[in-house]
Amino acid sequence: MQTIRRAILLALLVLGMLAFTGCGNSGARKVTLRYWNGFTGPDGRTMLRLVKRFNEANPDVYVLMQRMDWATYYNKLFVAGMGHRAPEVFVLQTHAIERFAQSHFVRTVDDLVSSPNGLAISDIDANIWDSVAVRGRHYGVPLDIWPMGMYYNRRLFREAGIVDARGEPQPPRTRQEFLDAARRLTRDTNGDGMPDQWGFVFTNFQSNVYTVMKQFGGEMFTPDNARSLLNSPQNVAALQLCVDLIGKYKVAPPPENFDAWIGFRQGKVGMAFEGIYMLADLQKQQDLDFAGAPVPVLGDRPATWAGSHNLCLRADLKGPQLQAAWRFIKFLSDNSLDWAAGGQVPVRKSLRNTPRFQSMAVQAQFARQIPYARYMPKMTFAFEFQTEFNNAVEKALRGSATPQQALDVATANLNRIIARQRALQMAGGRTQ
Amino acid sequence: MTERRFLYRLSGYLFVLPYLMLFVTFLVVPVIYGLGLSFFRWEMLSPAPPKFIGADNYREALGDAYFRQALGATFRFAVTAVPLTIGLALLLALGLHALPDRHQSFFRAAFFLPTIITISVAGLLWRWFYNSEFGLFNAYLSKIGIKVPWLTQPGWAMFSIALMTLWWTAGGPMVVFLAGLKNIPAQYYEAAAIDGANAWNRFTYITLPLLKPVLLFVIVMNIIGAFQVFGQTYIITGGGPELSTRVLVQYIYETAFNNYRMGYAAAMSWLLFLLIAVFSFAQFRLMRER
Repeated sequence: MQTIRRAILLALLVLGMLAFTGCGNSGARKVTLRYWNGFTGPDGRTMLRLVKRFNEANPDVYVLMQRMDWATYYNKLFVAGMGHRAPEVFVLQTHAIERFAQSHFVRTVDDLVSSPNGLAISDIDANIWDSVAVRGRHYGVPLDIWPMGMYYNRRLFREAGIVDARGEPQPPRTRQEFLDAARRLTRDTNGDGMPDQWGFVFTNFQSNVYTVMKQFGGEMFTPDNARSLLNSPQNVAALQLCVDLIGKYKVAPPPENFDAWIGFRQGKVGMAFEGIYMLADLQKQQDLDFAGAPVPVLGDRPATWAGSHNLCLRADLKGPQLQAAWRFIKFLSDNSLDWAAGGQVPVRKSLRNTPRFQSMAVQAQFARQIPYARYMPKMTFAFEFQTEFNNAVEKALRGSATPQQALDVATANLNRIIARQRALQMAGGRTQ
Repeated sequence: MTERRFLYRLSGYLFVLPYLMLFVTFLVVPVIYGLGLSFFRWEMLSPAPPKFIGADNYREALGDAYFRQALGATFRFAVTAVPLTIGLALLLALGLHALPDRHQSFFRAAFFLPTIITISVAGLLWRWFYNSEFGLFNAYLSKIGIKVPWLTQPGWAMFSIALMTLWWTAGGPMVVFLAGLKNIPAQYYEAAAIDGANAWNRFTYITLPLLKPVLLFVIVMNIIGAFQVFGQTYIITGGGPELSTRVLVQYIYETAFNNYRMGYAAAMSWLLFLLIAVFSFAQFRLMRER
């Protein structure tokens, strides 16, 4: 089905392109921009509408958007870049920035941003703007941010009596409130002696545990990325708290391999920490009375896992192509409120302050966390880091290793990867 | 006369040519290229140029705990899935063979049906079935007070994958066995029956020996397939829990296309190839000697 739909879509795109070139032969030559991204969900349709609007408003430019699922997309983008056939404009998620920057086919945008036709950087939060920087230079324009937030089931909150003075469900903000709420939400409803309604569930090990570690003040690496700090006391304590939610406090079910999220959707779970991109999923469900709130502070400081989509340019763009591509990026950034309707939070403060954004209830709640949003660490071996991180967390949450043991092993492995990476850089000589 | 024969041969080669070209371009050349690559350190994202490092990649593989873990996972899959699949396929084939033709074709089609489902659909389907809290299997099992951690415990996950594979792939060998059974002349059974052989005797002395070439073929193909398992584990568990179902092909895939360590991935691919070659060769020898 999917392939057929894609084929039809492709055919339509080709037809559309032919039609365009056919009737546009009278005026000046059109600049064609290829624009690749991984928006295969409903977000893709939102983006396609934006592209169409840009094409209508800019008759001298034709943007041709192509989308594929993220895994395929990165492989294809990478191979295209290696062969000097990269698209003119493309999207990189923040965690991918460093590895693509290292491969030299992403253009830095610092000169464009500060040009007369530039972007007001003061309108973008500092931590978001920093997230696209590698060694002081910026490799893209952040379009949106998806901070993780807390979804909670309002009906279960009311049933458990977790309400404010007006009787409205009250999401917890501190560790004490969170544990208290989780305890009251965990219930055995059918009387078989086992809980079948849970206060909390780990829907995504990586984002959930990373958030708690950041709230405990944990770091993943030394500032120069020379050594892993994954087994620091802060990180071990944070992981221990997560393990305790299952084993000691018994307010979260033992880990699921997949689809713990379904439990929340079925109304069997009181609270879950998930990305804003899950919102569309929940909104489709009429019988679920839910709301969004910032993630409660389980450590000693607020923090939450986040990611961004960034608009990037091919390294060798010049002249009219570069100008057209920049105009397109500016257009998307300026209109990112329309993009937000698809479930993302715009990075431009001025757009977030509009009544229209403030009326998007869950987005607005999640956006409150932007000042302390924390991205995954930036490095060239992002995937290997994630494998080590996830494996250690999984082992600890399943109880097959203590947090200390699991993080010790992962740290040793990461330090080996760093050593390998360093040796390689020595061999290659860093080319800047 | 000779000219005609030459033309006749030529036409044969011409017919083979299109496939041969594809075969050489997309198989022979990449395989040899991969062999060369396996002696290089080439990390595509790194500014360092590819460098010849001899057998270092192979040495790394032998010392790599993740490689050994992936190898172990692959073996566990092969040891579980192959005997189960072949045993069930043979049983089904024997059962179908005993049915009248009209009914046979219906059941043959029915049992073969799962085979034509793509792995992504079959995988997603079974991932739902296996979900321990909300899945189909546990929904029924919980009625009699049992809850199986299908995919959530390292000890169970690979078995669950093998079970799904059994459902998905048993139809193929079954059809082959059925064809093999049909080729055994009925006279042998009649003669044996007259001599007083019971059903078990007839199976062990007539069916099995005469089915041997087919059996050999199916076993070898199944083992090769089992060593290359990827789709099921990738879709159903993603390699988890705790990497217990991350098989060799997945590890190779991740090394090449997530970590972009092309030389190391090529070396591991060649190790997998050698392993499969050794196993297949041993199988053929073993079966031929008897």
